[in-house]
Amino acid sequence: MLHNSIRTRLLRLRGTSITLGSALALSVFPTVAVSQGEPPEPEFTTEYGEMSFPSQFPDGTSISLTQWSHFVPLYDEWFQEYAQRWGEAHNVEVSVNMINLADLTSTLSASIAAGEGATIFEMSAPPTAFIDGLQSLADVNEAAAAAFGERTGTCERSSYLPVTDMWYGFCHGWVPDPGDYRRSLWEDAGFPEGPQTYQDLLEGGTKIYQDTGIAVGVGMSPEIDSEFYARALIWSHGGSIQDENGNVTFNSPEVLEAVRFQKELFENAMTPEVFAWNAASNNQTFIGGRASYIQNSISFYRSAQESAPEIAADAGFRPGLKGPGGDVKMPSHVWFIYVIPNYVTDPDKLAAAKKFMLDLENNYANASYYSKFYNFPAFPSRSEQLFAEGGWLDNDPWDAQPPDKLNLLKTAEEWTAWLGYPGYANPAISEVYESHLLSSMMADVVRGQKTPEEAVEDTNAEIEEIFAKWRERGMVGGGGN
Amino acid sequence: MKEGTVAHDRPTGLMARMALALERPRVLGTLMLAPAVLYVVAFVAVPFFIAIALSVSDATVGNPQIDTFVGLDNFISVISQDAFGIALRNSLLITTLTVLILLVLATTAVELLAREFRGKRLVQVLFMIPWAMPVALSAITWLWLLDSQYSPIDWVLVQLGLLGPDGPFGPSRNMFYLGREWLAIGSVVFVDVWRTLPLATIIVLAGRLSIPRERIEQAQLDGAGFFRVLFRIIIPALAPVLTVAILFTALLVIGEMSTIALLTRGGPGHATQILPYWAYLKGINSGDLAQGAAIALFLFPVLLAAAIVALRFAYRAGRD
Repeated sequence: MLHNSIRTRLLRLRGTSITLGSALALSVFPTVAVSQGEPPEPEFTTEYGEMSFPSQFPDGTSISLTQWSHFVPLYDEWFQEYAQRWGEAHNVEVSVNMINLADLTSTLSASIAAGEGATIFEMSAPPTAFIDGLQSLADVNEAAAAAFGERTGTCERSSYLPVTDMWYGFCHGWVPDPGDYRRSLWEDAGFPEGPQTYQDLLEGGTKIYQDTGIAVGVGMSPEIDSEFYARALIWSHGGSIQDENGNVTFNSPEVLEAVRFQKELFENAMTPEVFAWNAASNNQTFIGGRASYIQNSISFYRSAQESAPEIAADAGFRPGLKGPGGDVKMPSHVWFIYVIPNYVTDPDKLAAAKKFMLDLENNYANASYYSKFYNFPAFPSRSEQLFAEGGWLDNDPWDAQPPDKLNLLKTAEEWTAWLGYPGYANPAISEVYESHLLSSMMADVVRGQKTPEEAVEDTNAEIEEIFAKWRERGMVGGGGN
Repeated sequence: MKEGTVAHDRPTGLMARMALALERPRVLGTLMLAPAVLYVVAFVAVPFFIAIALSVSDATVGNPQIDTFVGLDNFISVISQDAFGIALRNSLLITTLTVLILLVLATTAVELLAREFRGKRLVQVLFMIPWAMPVALSAITWLWLLDSQYSPIDWVLVQLGLLGPDGPFGPSRNMFYLGREWLAIGSVVFVDVWRTLPLATIIVLAGRLSIPRERIEQAQLDGAGFFRVLFRIIIPALAPVLTVAILFTALLVIGEMSTIALLTRGGPGHATQILPYWAYLKGINSGDLAQGAAIALFLFPVLLAAAIVALRFAYRAGRD
């Protein structure tokens, strides 16, 4: 029923834009009274900070977007409608090409090499290795900061490279990555609130596995969820890949302790299935009732609400797990980072693309809402209903039971880190992530191929070499003695 | 002009001059070869030399210009990576195993398909399906068949009492085909064999049908049994074609990464990593185009040597 109301609303949006017509040339859409709980109507303004835009672009202006197919299908449906409406309001032809998330880097790479392609690419992780082929978006980021206020740390550190002083992207949103547990299983194991610490995960996970055969579902496979789990574990144990300045800090007692923990967890509470997982596997396993704990964004929960309501009802969420020193750090699950390649040179096209980005952020309550709160805004002021007392996360309009089930996400920014934590994302950090060094290291240790000490030492050597290579190219800081 | 001689007027029209030129073997040969040569230059030679140039540069995906020469730095760096050694081993191992199994199966299949029997057409069509199927679709089918939790193969093994708490492969109810190193490599080989068997069979079948039937019948009349005919007549006669089949399938398997990308992504750890996929991860996903090119080029000397040996062998065998 709820879904039908969204469809009706989307149709209403389409009707509004047609009625208005381009002749009206409005810079601001009329604000229509919204029913309770729904986001406000999109507004398109012409001034953001020091940037000003025409309300109508010259005839023949067009922009194209290549972005990843969202994990919540309703978002794509809404976005297509929104993009068309934006185009009609601005006399711009807008085309949106949605592709598999895994194909983004190769598509951007091919476009840069060919010198032609989409006007805007939306990347799911910081595209730092592409910086030489991308335009600076300093003006957009400055305008957004001036217009929207404070920016979340995870977005800033995933779109700005300090060593070259370049805003290579505009991060319009990000996704929290909580811990997800089966409440009934953990209650029976003596943890009614779910695991609070990694030690709880080991003790409770072991008991559940012994009693029921249901394993802990954290991956150790070459895919993004496994990579993010490894980072959460290491960060929460006090370790990191680099420091704030880009110096490698991987070979540390904290990282070693995290790796030893993982070996113990695997030996007591897990099965070899996690070595073969892809990015969807832990969701499927949890929804199939075969995992006691996973680390994932809420998209799996939204799927479960439709396909396995009993599992959805039994799902609980944790803001990460505390390490031995009390640290809790979880990664952003993905980011929404807009970039414009250097080959886009037409001034009207560039201006339209930049306005599209800023308008989207300005109307981010819609993006959060239609992604069923998968998307969090880069600028919290743009989605106030999400965080407000009694707002969407306290009273979920998408039928979460109980309605405040997801309200722990209100504090997500406090426990969320980013790919280069505690420093900025850079090409070396991206290469460590894309070549799956951490998940492979964990797998090598738990499969008995290497001792924890050997694995950390070998991985550190590879990381050092990757950092040295990119530092030589002037794209990573640090390196001094 | 002397009296009594026949006068040949030189052709004056464009079409007539072209027709005359085409009668010269050198012109005609050049024209007939041109499309193939252009194809090889455009789609093989140019990319190959670009790859060499990239591998000795510091090009990235953001700046693919080949303007800085770094010598062999990329090759040296690649060799020091843990994953590289494993990827090289796996590329050679998976290809060798796939080709060996293909040889046996293709020869067997050809013996079946060379005979007349009811339903032969249907068998031929069914046989071709794996080759006609898109790689992604077939790999996803296998991904499901080899799933760590819901594998139908596991279900059958459990029903047969081979898997599960009391089974010889237990106590788990799952084999975790893609989560254990050698099972994962075996699974990849199996899928590669399944995919390429139709191609190998068609190549070998063409050779098999060209063997004069009289030679086989004569041997049978002389009292030779099935295996003697197979090993003394058919296989020696098939040698050039088998060599071509080996070469084609080996090149196809060693340069192909979609099976790994869809089934294991190189895991567990780097246990099923192969060079093409590692090159893709480093060169495209990680942005280091130069290093990706260096990884991709590592197999070139091996492949070139294998191709030369195989083609010379096929040529000699064909001439004999």
